[in-house]
Amino acid sequence: MSDTPVLQYSFLAPILIVLGGAVIGVLLEAFAAAKRRAVLQLTLTLGTLFIAFLSLLRIRNLTSAKAAMGSVMIDGPTILMQGTILLIAFFAVMIIGDVDNFTAQASAVPGSDEEKSALQAGRQQTEIFPLTLFAVAGMLLFPAANDLVTLFVALEVLSLPLYLMAGLSRHRRLFSQEAALKYFLLGAYASAFFLFGAAFLYGFSYSVTLSGIHAAVIGGTANNIFLLIGLTFISLGLLFKVGAVPFHAWTPDVYQGAPTPITGFMAAATKVAAFGAMLRIYYVTFAEANWNWRPILTVIAIATMLVGSIVAITQRDIKRMLAYSSIAHAGFLFTGVIALNKAGLAATLFYLLAYGFATIGAFGVITLVRDSSGEITDLNRWAGLGRRSPKIAALFSFFLFAFAGIPLTSGFIGKFAIFTAAYESGNIGVVVVGVLSSAIAAFFYIRVIVMMYFADDNGDSLTVVIPSPLTSIAIWVSGGVTLVLGVYPTPVLNAINTLATFIR
Amino acid sequence: MTSNNLVYLIALPLFSSGFLMMLGRRADKWGHIFATLISASAFGIGAFEFLQMLARPSESRAVTQKLFSWISVGTFQVDASLLLDQLSISFVLLITGVGTLIHIYSIAYMSHDLDRRRFFAFLNFFIAAMLLLVLGDSYLNLYVGWEGVGLASYLLIGFWNQKPEYATAAKKAFIANRVGDVGLSLAIMIAFATFGTVSFAGVEEKVSGASTAALTGIGLMLLLAATGKSAQFPLQSWLGDAMAGPTPVSALIHAATMVTAGVYLITRSNFIFDNAPTAQLCVVIIGAITLMFGALIGTAKDDIKKALAASTMSQIGYMILATGLGPVGYAFAIMHLLTHGFFKAGMFLGAGSVMHGMDDEVNMRKYGGLGKLMPITAITFGLGYLAIIGVPPFAGFYSKDKIIETAFNSEGIKGLFIGGAALLGALVTAFYMTRVIILTFTGAKRWDEKAHPHESPFLMWGPMAILAIGSVASGFLLSSGNRFVSWLAPVVNSHEVEHAERFQPVVVTTMALVAVLIGVAIAIAKYRSDVPRVAPTNVNIFTKIARRDLLQDDFNEAVLMRPGQALTNFLVATDERAIDGAVRTVGAVVIGSSKGIRKTQNGFVRSYALLILFGAFALLATIWVVTL
Amino acid sequence: MNSANYLYLSAMLFTIGAVGVVIRRNAIVVFMCIELMLNAANLAFVTFARINGTLDGQIIAFFTMVVAACEVVVGLAIIVTIFRSRRSTSVDDASLLKR
Repeated sequence: MSDTPVLQYSFLAPILIVLGGAVIGVLLEAFAAAKRRAVLQLTLTLGTLFIAFLSLLRIRNLTSAKAAMGSVMIDGPTILMQGTILLIAFFAVMIIGDVDNFTAQASAVPGSDEEKSALQAGRQQTEIFPLTLFAVAGMLLFPAANDLVTLFVALEVLSLPLYLMAGLSRHRRLFSQEAALKYFLLGAYASAFFLFGAAFLYGFSYSVTLSGIHAAVIGGTANNIFLLIGLTFISLGLLFKVGAVPFHAWTPDVYQGAPTPITGFMAAATKVAAFGAMLRIYYVTFAEANWNWRPILTVIAIATMLVGSIVAITQRDIKRMLAYSSIAHAGFLFTGVIALNKAGLAATLFYLLAYGFATIGAFGVITLVRDSSGEITDLNRWAGLGRRSPKIAALFSFFLFAFAGIPLTSGFIGKFAIFTAAYESGNIGVVVVGVLSSAIAAFFYIRVIVMMYFADDNGDSLTVVIPSPLTSIAIWVSGGVTLVLGVYPTPVLNAINTLATFIR
Repeated sequence: MTSNNLVYLIALPLFSSGFLMMLGRRADKWGHIFATLISASAFGIGAFEFLQMLARPSESRAVTQKLFSWISVGTFQVDASLLLDQLSISFVLLITGVGTLIHIYSIAYMSHDLDRRRFFAFLNFFIAAMLLLVLGDSYLNLYVGWEGVGLASYLLIGFWNQKPEYATAAKKAFIANRVGDVGLSLAIMIAFATFGTVSFAGVEEKVSGASTAALTGIGLMLLLAATGKSAQFPLQSWLGDAMAGPTPVSALIHAATMVTAGVYLITRSNFIFDNAPTAQLCVVIIGAITLMFGALIGTAKDDIKKALAASTMSQIGYMILATGLGPVGYAFAIMHLLTHGFFKAGMFLGAGSVMHGMDDEVNMRKYGGLGKLMPITAITFGLGYLAIIGVPPFAGFYSKDKIIETAFNSEGIKGLFIGGAALLGALVTAFYMTRVIILTFTGAKRWDEKAHPHESPFLMWGPMAILAIGSVASGFLLSSGNRFVSWLAPVVNSHEVEHAERFQPVVVTTMALVAVLIGVAIAIAKYRSDVPRVAPTNVNIFTKIARRDLLQDDFNEAVLMRPGQALTNFLVATDERAIDGAVRTVGAVVIGSSKGIRKTQNGFVRSYALLILFGAFALLATIWVVTL
Repeated sequence: MNSANYLYLSAMLFTIGAVGVVIRRNAIVVFMCIELMLNAANLAFVTFARINGTLDGQIIAFFTMVVAACEVVVGLAIIVTIFRSRRSTSVDDASLLKR
């Protein structure tokens, strides 16, 4: 006897729409005229994300539904995380839409005649848009995945396009290609660990669904060694994706080498997806086995916060500094994961939203600071930016304040909520380290502001380009969201609180 | 009671600040006037609220205004609400009143600065943040203002970026304040964990049910916060360097208002400290140490602003000391804070006026005999001087004398010690302030030929004159008939406690006056003979001789000065080695480990993979160990 | 035959792959080591499916193969591009980004 598979298309609509948009994007690459491609692709991508968001709104009241034979779980956290990812992706695509950041022809050897002629012909690598959509689809699926296969496939669907996108920078091609290579090799390495862990979880529980594994964890009769190996390696895969110490080494190199709009996109959206999956796995599947993973995750949280904040201090490159800052933020987010209570879940979700927008905005601003050979990421050359371009510098300072957790920014509310949750769960040590590393971290954020406003102008050839309308919408909206979430976060916090309950 | 006007107190300057920043150079012509009017209208609102408050009976004087529900995380709820009671209105009037005067003064003082509009935007931002600090009805709202004034102070210290010392000064201020801020955030967290709320009213209500340990913890963390913001021992070192900022900023932020935020914090948290005796004792000790520390440093500074900064530190030490004395002390602390706000701001503006006339020279050894050329500055400064050393009937006499008296009369042997410290502090204060006066305004002129000292314009001496009137009259007005004590009583719960009085008020007053006389006499004896006889044609040689003479003086003549100087040197050395050293060590450790970890990031993908492999082993091993 | 032996084999293959990534320089070989790890996981899936008598594990193995194929496409594209610009497949040569 066999059941006819039922997919519940309406529940899966956001994911399917994004995938569909991506496929249409691939067709456009083949059939649309080269000149009009960029505009068409951009319109298609933004439209797809918008429609996907609308379809998500239609199912926003579902708090417990399974789709695709139980492989995809649609519950409150799923809705929230998918919404966050779609919003972040929408504004990230606006910045990606400034195709000057991307290489004219990825296959051309850097510095070759082929590359020059491609540049002169004004060719553009518009594949970036369908790749973004594929990655977004993977991200939407990842936190909703309810069994091991879906989890693994989603992980790969979100990762593979990002590997390619990291290598598409127009300037400093060698850096960019190296970033792609490193990201790919290490990412594949980590997902091999992930898959091996998944195999042993299957061996432990003889079930591929998270609820089945959960039942085996509670039952306690199965082979614990298998659970151990499975839990370890699954965690490794997730820890790699969020950039936790000691699996963080790729982060600075890739963030620095990748085209800046892509860095912003993956810093913001990948974090949401990976933390989403991590929250589901730890809160739903392994909650009862928390004495196994909580101690080590606590140590990792502490190490991540400290390493991120400390190493960022001596960085000279702004993208690298923000990469270490993102490592530190991953540490702060861990304090919410190990809190293992409803407040921790809600706080983590809020933090992801807040951090995501600030990140999009900050990297968006970085794309604007250029000289004739491309973006300027050397911090020393940002000296005096505050006088040349006060509005952009003020906006960037505001994002830095949000990262530092200064009140009246979203970062403050996020940190406050997440530390409160950790404190309530009894992890006082983590909170103390968290506050200390926020203090350390504030130092290098403020250093950039000092650099921009108080350091002498070194007469550099650096200019702040006039942002394209879409880019300026994206960065100012990000700034607005950061401000609103800092001043009046109550509606968002309430919405998150009502929805933040995982369903098994 | 609720009121709808409170929000405008903060919104007006905040709006004006943003407005001036946004308009940019377009507002250069009228920005300063606009900002001053805004500040004045905030004072107007404050005065209006004050009059309304006076009309109500004392138990229903506090008003609140709920703006919106700010954070609600789980069971945790914070409203953005404002609270205006007897304590906060005192601050509101001080901030907006002195603030407006300093705005007016700055119009002239900054008239040659190209960035005057930006300066005024920052000043208005400071006013808004400071008002939020004193009007917030919960620790969290206070924290927002607390960070805001820190930012404003930071921006204004570094306002003149052509001065090279701004970087270290701003950084030092930043680090010290950051340590204090960690204290405040920890205090808020402990308070939330203990009481489940962080509003002042909520905490006060539940304070009796909390353990002493928790209260002591909160108290100590609040004290740490106060030491950072108010430049108290051991986080005091930033204040002297903060003088790199423009003088009006020193007067407003680093003398009259922001640095007294610590006193406000402790007074506002009286319900915590009254129930945590250990924390309260620490407050007294910190206050006593700082008041001596500041006073002794003051004797060794040649830079007029740094001498005044040391004096500020010392006077805030008095206030902190008073807040540690329990219910009787709070009112005197705030009273001293208000009178200090007048006379110290007045003196700073006087110092600014001198600098204005002397081409920004700050070394008092290059002044001398300015009294004749700048009569108004000399008179207003002199009135402030009489107030700070505590000569009756000037303002400082009333407030400081009360603090010394209360200190002497606190229980046990403690009373003698802290009373003695306060008394000795008064002596040293009289000494170094007299030194400032002598070096600056009397004696022969010692300035460069190039300098042409002249009296400042009306826009500058006007505010100075008003502040001088305050330094003359405010003490008597506040203290006659115990007026201020009973005004503040509902906030600080000071029910009249009759102490066994060790000393009669008359005795204490006499002792204090004798101490002041001794201090003044030593200073006169020491520095009158020093008036240089060498003609001021060859200034450099003169300066050298004067310096050498003074050094000899210090070794040979001043009996009191020798141990004092040694102690000062020791303290300065301790300050530099231990405190700065500690800060630097922490910094060095952080940067060292930063560089160390950076080395592991060697660019080779294989070593990253090795790190992952190693991490996998570590993860597996740990989970294994934990499981077995 | 004891099916636990297949698990040992799987663990050994996985270890060889994991160590190979660290010690080999050629990007293609490093990539092959990763494929070896994926296949070790596949073997474990199939073995568990066999022990338990369910099909889930075997189906996952097919999914993994498909995903691995996608990974090859992306991976080779990246490696070939970097080979064209650097004339070298050594992963140690690509070390501009550091510190």
